[in-house]
Amino acid sequence: MSAMTSRERLKITALLAGLSLCSFLLGCAQHQETGRSEALIRAGWDNYRLGEFDLAARDFEAALAQVPQGGAEQQGALYGLATTWNLRRPGEDMDLAGRLYRQAISLAPTNDLAAWSWLALARMKALPVAGESPNLEQQVDAYQEVIVRFPFHPAGEEAFLFQQAARLETPDLGRTREVLDALEAFLSTHPRSPWRSAAYKLVGHCCTVFGLPEKRMEAALQEWKTAEVDPANPADLSWTYWQLATLAEFETGNFGLAREYYRKLIAEYPAEQRVFVAKQELQRMDDLETRIRQEAVAR
Amino acid sequence: MIRSLIMFLRRHSAPLFVCVVYLWSAAMILSYRQAEKPAGVTTVLRIGHWQLEAGVRDAFDQMAAEYRKLHPEVDIVQDAIPEGTYSQWMTTQLMGGTAPDLIEVPVGGGGIPYNVVLGFFSRYFLPLTAYVNQPNPYNNGTELEGIAWRKTYKDGMRNSYIEEMQEFMLVPLSQFGIRIFYNKDLLKKLTGLDKAPGDYREFLRACETIKSRKDDRGRPYTPIAGSAYHMGMWDGFMCDPLTYGAVRRVDFNRDGAVGNDELFVGFKTGRIGFDFPPYKAKFRMLRELTEQFQAGFTGLGRDEAVFLFAQERAVFITTGTWDAGSLQEQARGSFEVGVMDFPMPSRDDPEFGSVIEGPVYERPTSQFSFAITRTSRHPEVALDFLRFLGSWKGNQKLNRTIGWIPAIEKTTLSPLLQAFEPHLEGVYGAMPVTLGGETTIKWQQLYSLFQVRQIGYEDMTAQFEPFYLERGVNEFQEAQRNRRRGVAGDEQFLAGFRARAMLVPSNESESQWIKYRQMTTSRLMVRDLGAALLQKRLDEGSVTNAVGPYDLSPAVVARVRARIQRQGKETD
Repeated sequence: MSAMTSRERLKITALLAGLSLCSFLLGCAQHQETGRSEALIRAGWDNYRLGEFDLAARDFEAALAQVPQGGAEQQGALYGLATTWNLRRPGEDMDLAGRLYRQAISLAPTNDLAAWSWLALARMKALPVAGESPNLEQQVDAYQEVIVRFPFHPAGEEAFLFQQAARLETPDLGRTREVLDALEAFLSTHPRSPWRSAAYKLVGHCCTVFGLPEKRMEAALQEWKTAEVDPANPADLSWTYWQLATLAEFETGNFGLAREYYRKLIAEYPAEQRVFVAKQELQRMDDLETRIRQEAVAR
Repeated sequence: MIRSLIMFLRRHSAPLFVCVVYLWSAAMILSYRQAEKPAGVTTVLRIGHWQLEAGVRDAFDQMAAEYRKLHPEVDIVQDAIPEGTYSQWMTTQLMGGTAPDLIEVPVGGGGIPYNVVLGFFSRYFLPLTAYVNQPNPYNNGTELEGIAWRKTYKDGMRNSYIEEMQEFMLVPLSQFGIRIFYNKDLLKKLTGLDKAPGDYREFLRACETIKSRKDDRGRPYTPIAGSAYHMGMWDGFMCDPLTYGAVRRVDFNRDGAVGNDELFVGFKTGRIGFDFPPYKAKFRMLRELTEQFQAGFTGLGRDEAVFLFAQERAVFITTGTWDAGSLQEQARGSFEVGVMDFPMPSRDDPEFGSVIEGPVYERPTSQFSFAITRTSRHPEVALDFLRFLGSWKGNQKLNRTIGWIPAIEKTTLSPLLQAFEPHLEGVYGAMPVTLGGETTIKWQQLYSLFQVRQIGYEDMTAQFEPFYLERGVNEFQEAQRNRRRGVAGDEQFLAGFRARAMLVPSNESESQWIKYRQMTTSRLMVRDLGAALLQKRLDEGSVTNAVGPYDLSPAVVARVRARIQRQGKETD
């Protein structure tokens, strides 16, 4: 280095500066391209939501043409395009959609989008044809594939619940027993799942089929307690209160609980249609208890 | 030079003339607009609506003047469009990007299919969720200060929340109600009554008296001015609520209402039939009421009935608050208009007392709803004007001027409208006796014959019931298929929603995911479960002495008895 003249040092500095500038400019171009493809993917989804499926497909295809191969953006564009061909009506192309989902999965088989793509593939099997229920076994197998691959991912948990709901679609006591066992196992192994409230809802249905009032009541209470609360959403609990009150009154005879929820309904939703009946039921429970007490005294 | 100019003008006289006229027109339009604009105005806000009823435009003008006192820089201009062309006008204005800043949106009506209105919400209107969750600053200093704007509404802005958007999109300004209007002077003259009777039997007696009287030319008076338009109101507010008892028999999912699928299963399994006393009572009352209408009422429209009333040939007519101002206007100088509630039978009524369980329930919903367009140049001013109109003071004043019911809590009603105070507790109809196309047509045919007194209830139901039980099976199955056909639409919607949850910034993402899971559960996951239970009941066939959904089973009563005995022993 010491032998280097100041002229040579200047040349090297200029060369390095030039290289830095080039790489900076290249980086900018790359970033600009990335930004553009991101915008295209967003535009694709906006068009999809507006029902402009041709425009959505065009945007996703344009994004695909720009993104670097094998990256997350390519996967995002493929997922968008696959969803468009899967769910556009009319003009759907399920085969193409299936191939695109699989292509998206192959780019990163274990990430979020892969999980949602697997679920989409399963849901394709659940779409009714001409209003008839799709084949149950095919649905169950397809959901199982997602559950096995992503047992603790929200997509895998969603697949599990869809699988159980599909099995409950036609009443069958043996199958309902299996579903109830599976749901109880899910609840014990997924204590933090955001899908617990939905799982309890399905448990409640199983209990209705079996005629298990106490367990049905407990499931309904848990369904409410584990329900997620969205601060931006108007939480109308009138139906929840009504359901808990009527279950307590007519299924378990737990009048204390029934009164609690009828009163909540009356106090919090005074303009609700069921308030009149709620008041009638409060009176009815009082009357029945009074009659039973009088009978006891008379005896 | 001058010569060439003359030559040029001669050669191009026609296009030049057109240009000059165009420029002159543009200049005139601009100067007129400028002249119309009050001094100091920098912002012009346009508001589009279809309310041409008496008082609405005046009320908006008054409110605009009030608003200008607070904001002298804002002028408000109305685009009042006739109802018949409103949907076309709105559609073209929105699509052309020339829509007013605020526009009244017909949700679930107005000739625009709901799915198209949903498209409009996505493309052309601004979401208002963030604003309706904040207090309305125009409520400062009132009882409603500091309360979220939506919670200051009597109905909590229930209809403004568009589920498919998961956003509040509309700001409603009024509520509406339906009651009976009557000619006070004619009632007094014909019956001697100062006030319309509130009891059903007394009402019928008054009607019979009216019917027996003749005018100077020997023409009989009509007690009730009816028409095909008015028929539904009489039915909905007086007759249909008698059927409420069916809830206790066939509301299998205990949601508080009888669905048409539930009623069909009830009929098929022998839990209910046309011999159900509340059903018979409904049609007896319908017959008694329509006997007080003018002959041939089923072939008449709304205007013919109003004409009969305005001509003082009929004493009673039913309609809503939207017509209150117009009816008063027509009666001005001729007679005094009174408003009364629907006369209900008393609990000791020999015919209906056993089936009437309470007053008629009215769901208080706010309408006359406005949205802010995305093309608005002053969305913040549009929002502020809506807050002004939707405040305690502003809403009361607006509706007092129009003669409508305010939508905001703690407001008061004008004396005429006090009879419109909704009944928040009561019963409602439970006889949705049609399933699909064929049963609907058959029922409508027979019901029309019943209305014109060609057949009685027994004949009508004897003809309908076998048809209903036979064809209903296919229609019930078709309804299940239709439900499944809807899966693709919901799947499509939820995939779009999921993508939004993935792409929004992380601070919004949690809320979006919660919405996604809630909608996935209700719209897809459990959508078939209720139907499965209903199908199970249908498959099980006829039952006798079945415990109704609102009956306490012997096992439950035994449990209550055991608990009370236990409590008694503990007390001892």
